[in-house]
Amino acid sequence: MKAIGGTAGDLPGAPPAKAMRRAPAARRIVDALRSSEEQLWRWTARVAVVLPLAALVFAITVLAIKAYPAIIVNGWSFLTGSSWTYGSSYGATVHTHGVAHPMGSSFGAWPLILGTIQTSAVAVVIALPISIGAAFALTERLPRWVSQPLGFAVELLAGFPSVIIGLWGILTFGPFLARHVYPHIADHMPDVPVLRYFRNPVGHGEGLLTAGIVLALMIVPIITATTRDLFGQIPPLPKEGGEALGMTDWEVARRISLRWVRSGIIGATVLGLGRALGETIAVVMITGSILHVAPNIYSPMTTIAATILTQLDGALTDGTGFAVATLAELALVLAVISVAVNLVARFIVKRSGRLGGPVGRA
Amino acid sequence: MTPEEQPIKPSPPVEIASGPPSRALDPVLAALDPDRARPAHVMESKALKLSFGAKTILDDIEMRFTRGTITALIGPTGSGKSTFLRTLNRMNDKVVGFSHQGDVTLDNQSIWEPNQDLLTLRRRVGMLFQRPNPFPMSIGDNVVAGVKAHRIAKGKQLDVVAERRLREVGLWDAVKDRLGDSPFRLSGGQQQLLCLARALAVGPEVLLLDEPTSALDPISTEMVEGLVRELTPALTIIIVTHNLGQARRVSDGTMFFYDGKLIEHGTTSQMFDDPRCEQTQNYVTGRMG
Ligand SMILES: Nc1ncnc2c1ncn2[C@@H]1O[C@H](COP(=O)(O)OP(=O)(O)OP(=O)(O)O)[C@@H](O)[C@H]1O
Ligand SMILES: [Mg+2]
Repeated sequence: MKAIGGTAGDLPGAPPAKAMRRAPAARRIVDALRSSEEQLWRWTARVAVVLPLAALVFAITVLAIKAYPAIIVNGWSFLTGSSWTYGSSYGATVHTHGVAHPMGSSFGAWPLILGTIQTSAVAVVIALPISIGAAFALTERLPRWVSQPLGFAVELLAGFPSVIIGLWGILTFGPFLARHVYPHIADHMPDVPVLRYFRNPVGHGEGLLTAGIVLALMIVPIITATTRDLFGQIPPLPKEGGEALGMTDWEVARRISLRWVRSGIIGATVLGLGRALGETIAVVMITGSILHVAPNIYSPMTTIAATILTQLDGALTDGTGFAVATLAELALVLAVISVAVNLVARFIVKRSGRLGGPVGRA
Repeated sequence: MTPEEQPIKPSPPVEIASGPPSRALDPVLAALDPDRARPAHVMESKALKLSFGAKTILDDIEMRFTRGTITALIGPTGSGKSTFLRTLNRMNDKVVGFSHQGDVTLDNQSIWEPNQDLLTLRRRVGMLFQRPNPFPMSIGDNVVAGVKAHRIAKGKQLDVVAERRLREVGLWDAVKDRLGDSPFRLSGGQQQLLCLARALAVGPEVLLLDEPTSALDPISTEMVEGLVRELTPALTIIIVTHNLGQARRVSDGTMFFYDGKLIEHGTTSQMFDDPRCEQTQNYVTGRMG
């Protein structure tokens, strides 16, 4: 400590050593304060790193404990089966593997798992191109006085209450689609594999496709807002390079800008997908809540999150607690799907990031 | 242009002589030159005035660029060299507030003429920037990015083009085993050479270089300079540089910009050894700028 005070005075051009030197006691206090500050900062950082991870592990652990009886009894067929009966709550209680449950209860979550994946997949397939296009227009195409209020509106929409969107979906949007849009698609689809799934009947607007579209509307703002910020951060030089080479704006956007931020867009998509997977109230309102595998894309169906909400009341009346354990198992499956989606995204980011733009460099 | 119209113009438009006699004056080479039917001046600026908003950056630029020569643009910072250079391939056009008067021609045709296709113009007038700007794609894809965009070649031909251009800039041996890798792990000099290969791949007639070596070490700089010299007379090169030694080493002609004006231009040796204007004298001898 002393050496530092001493050398500063010896530097050419520095004030005389005396003026720089504090009284030794004051110097020690300053040093002690700074090092305790540093300690505090380090610990804060450590806690901040561990906290989210701990919360996640805690939530999944609690779910797993609650779900444990259901996991034992339902077995693997919970993931593949399609029956969903609570059994007789007035009848006898039976024991399987030492777990009490009502006689005749049987649970298979396959339609829900599939429904969750289907609605989210439809949502992402619709939302991603729209979001990228909108983000591109906001950063590159529109004048500032348009893009700024529009961008603000997008951000507002990102946090819009889903119950409002759901209500609008079921009262106005769904019926509109079923009457004026779906018939045009359904009538022109050939009877071949995959496309067969888009054939009649189109129903009344409650179902898989409507839910997917409404979910898309909900996640477009999320992906757009993030992607717009990403586009804004691309350094101008690579884009100018493309222009100077004679590329069109479209080619610059597709071959340079989009690739530059590819990994970031994947991250934004996962955020949106997370919302779609877990969205509950709007999905309850729009899917028609029918517990089966949707026979075509317009058909009513349901998802894991929606089912947990709609079945909870009934499940609480089961004296053995088994129905609640089953819903906990369902929640556990949803949590695992979310984590799996993130891991897959991470893997894709790693692979595509290899050729993406260097982060933190011009 | 008569003296009455341009009373204060320090130097009348003088043509810059071509480089060494072997290039321009050799009758055999001249006869073989496929460009002999075309104008000797590949680009020309006529009474050019460039402004950003109300601010005039450059006024009354009268200049001809002889085909197959290297012209250096020198002058203190902020004197408008980049602005002039970026006008030649119309990179300034979309800059907010930019406006021009006068004209720039490429092969006697105005670059702003309605039937002048912007994409074609930029294919014919290429550009290399101050700092390397590889695209976020593999090294091989970088080289042929422009070729693909202009549909000049496709499929297997692309590999041939990539190899030829990478050999041309002397980068082939360094990257031939990692064509699929990211360009961002190459050194700065290698990245700049890659960008040069990319610019050359579309077959430009004019190449604009804006301080292409200012971010490079001496050895990379020497490599780029050597390449630039080798590219003529097939190409016409216009290079902005703050490095007076570089201007002297590589260029046939030199233009000196100062205070919004083209003060003087002429052959490089004349400009450095016997400048007509005092300001040029001061600048090239390092007493200003
Ligand atoms: N987009 C712009 N809007 C307004 N003024 C600009 C713009 N670009 C450049 N200028 C101004 O034009 C003048 C010339 O700039 P320019 O970049 O051409 O100079 P330069 O000679 O290339 O300088 P340097 O050697 O530092 O690169 C400067 O005064 C600059 O502030
Ligand atoms: Mg410049």
